[in-house]
Amino acid sequence: MVGSKALVKRNKGALSWFLQRITALYLFVFLIAHFVIMHFTGSGEVTYQAVAPRLSSPLWKAGDLLFLIFALYHGLNGLWQVLEDYTKSRGLRLFFYSLILTMGIILLVVGTVTIFSVKV
Amino acid sequence: MLKPKWFYPSYKKDVGEWAWILHRLGGLALIFYLFLHIFVTNRLAAGPEAFNATMKALSTPVFKFLEWGLWGVILFHAFNGIRLVLVDFAGASKYQKLLFWIAFVLFLALWIPAAWKFFL
Ligand code: HEM
Repeated sequence: MVGSKALVKRNKGALSWFLQRITALYLFVFLIAHFVIMHFTGSGEVTYQAVAPRLSSPLWKAGDLLFLIFALYHGLNGLWQVLEDYTKSRGLRLFFYSLILTMGIILLVVGTVTIFSVKV
Repeated sequence: MLKPKWFYPSYKKDVGEWAWILHRLGGLALIFYLFLHIFVTNRLAAGPEAFNATMKALSTPVFKFLEWGLWGVILFHAFNGIRLVLVDFAGASKYQKLLFWIAFVLFLALWIPAAWKFFL
């Protein structure tokens, strides 16, 4: 298979290490803000009526889309790092890598559909 | 000393193995949660009634307790994560122990009092 070795080895590079930290900084601000907005402000109840007005704004959509992408990258890249630490076999690594990539694509699509389901 | 596999990537062993283990377990818990979260929030696309019904079903005391636990996992991973970024990007490795305790105090200070919001 083309580049299967490269695929499995890719994470050894410094780029994913760097991006893990850059996304961490974005997530620090937005994840805490997200939780505070959802649970500590307003009635504390999560309803469509509470969420939709925010999400109808294009700026909010953009921020959430970036939030989605960064959280998925950070979480799945982190998961890959963990799996790499505990697996030695190339076949198993390739299996996990493919699984993570597939999951990432599915989650990105589902999340994007959610964000754009609330009309402007 | 016996070294379990947990301690494997040892470049920050001296920072405190516990911080590293908790950061790793927390990260794994968060990506697992994000997986569920993306599918659950997709109920938004099914309209107000469907979304509100799902949210209502997920607001029992058990889920409230889990949400509070989630907030704790987020806070620990977030503050310890900032500590790791400071160590890596700002050359703060000299202060990593102190930074850990600062992160730990912030985590407890924001987590414990938040309980009242979830249990009233
Ligand atoms: C609150 C903002 C966050 C910050 C500041 C943060 C910070 C970090 C940092 C700096 C690392 C690298 C640790 C290392 O290389 O040893 C990391 C790893 C990780 N993070 Fe986060 N993170 C945040 C949110 C999240 C979220 C939302 C998820 C899940 C979707 C997540 C999942 C993970 C995973 C699975 C790892 C890999 C753990 C490991 O290699 O031991 N993190 N995080």
